Amino acid sequence: MSATQDNAAQLLFPPNVQYNNLRLYTVKFLSACSAGAAAGVLGLENWLGFALFVFSTLLTSACLYLKCGGRPAKFIPGGWWELVSPGQENIFSFVLVWTLFYGIVHVYD
Amino acid sequence: MSNSNVSLYLDPQIRDWVLFPITLVMILVGVFRHYVVLLLQSPPKKVPRAAIREQRALVRSQILRATSAESPIPPTYYKSISQHLSQAFSNGTYLKDGPPKGDSEKSTPPNPLTDPAAMDGMMSGMKTQMVMMVPQMVIMGWINFFFQGFVLIKLPFPLTLGFKSMLQRGVATPDMDVRWVSSLSWYFLNFFGLNGLYRLILGGDNSADSSRDMSTPFAAAAMAGPQPGQPQDYNKLFKAERDNLEFAEGLYSWVAKDVEDRVLRKYGR
Repeated sequence: MSATQDNAAQLLFPPNVQYNNLRLYTVKFLSACSAGAAAGVLGLENWLGFALFVFSTLLTSACLYLKCGGRPAKFIPGGWWELVSPGQENIFSFVLVWTLFYGIVHVYD
Repeated sequence: MSNSNVSLYLDPQIRDWVLFPITLVMILVGVFRHYVVLLLQSPPKKVPRAAIREQRALVRSQILRATSAESPIPPTYYKSISQHLSQAFSNGTYLKDGPPKGDSEKSTPPNPLTDPAAMDGMMSGMKTQMVMMVPQMVIMGWINFFFQGFVLIKLPFPLTLGFKSMLQRGVATPDMDVRWVSSLSWYFLNFFGLNGLYRLILGGDNSADSSRDMSTPFAAAAMAGPQPGQPQDYNKLFKAERDNLEFAEGLYSWVAKDVEDRVLRKYGR
């Protein structure tokens, strides 16, 4: 049967979806923090640091995709775009941790 | 103009006594804020059973409608529930004050400013907002007072000169790279970046989130929206819901329709 986007969303069970979203957010936040730490410690500047952020986002979403068994629509409303996009807050967290580690390692003696 | 190869040497004590304390204080104040809001919230008022029944009847029909296109319940059950609700709505059996008497004298909802039930809702919203704003102001004042006049850290990414006045407040050097910033900008970085951490340790619905502050004007307006809905005319709502139920019945289709054929086809018969 052909399921439209709306119908597909109806097939998801809300408490499970909530749990999934929480896990997803946790994973994304932790990966943003680790990427920030890595960028800071390595001393990446300017666009290199942001490139690392993009790379880490892609890596995280690839891992999540594998975890979904290749069918993200079964677990998360919004399909694969929801998997890939880092939250708006995670970009700020990345910058914070990046600045922190960059400062600790490279600026201070 | 400015030499970005020459790097400043900063005293490590700045790191120990400014960098970490500011972050630590902000984390702790955020957690504190969350618990204060939690404690300040007054417990919800007890609603009489008839009023709850009225609200729940509406919710029940909405739940039924929500999955009607891929409904998990078989046609007989769906139709019977749908028709029972439809009839109850048109008769007004679920209404709080009993079936309508036929005259329209009770159709004006009380003024939200004078209705005590609605006032409580708005007061709690404003209390939350005050609690959120005050610590931020206090911390900003604290930082401006104690940690002023020196650069704290170097940003790993460049910014335009326009940010110089904001981020290097208190350091009067026209030539220094914008990447060297003062403690206030570290405060801003923390302000935005710690939301994820709050969500991690306090759970999704925490009150320490600064992104909620941005949306509180909308939230306050949205709360003021359904507040006049409390004493709303459920009769009208029920009538509208009845039309929606009919509409949904048209859309209805059971997920397991023709399931016997599908199973047989799947296994090759």
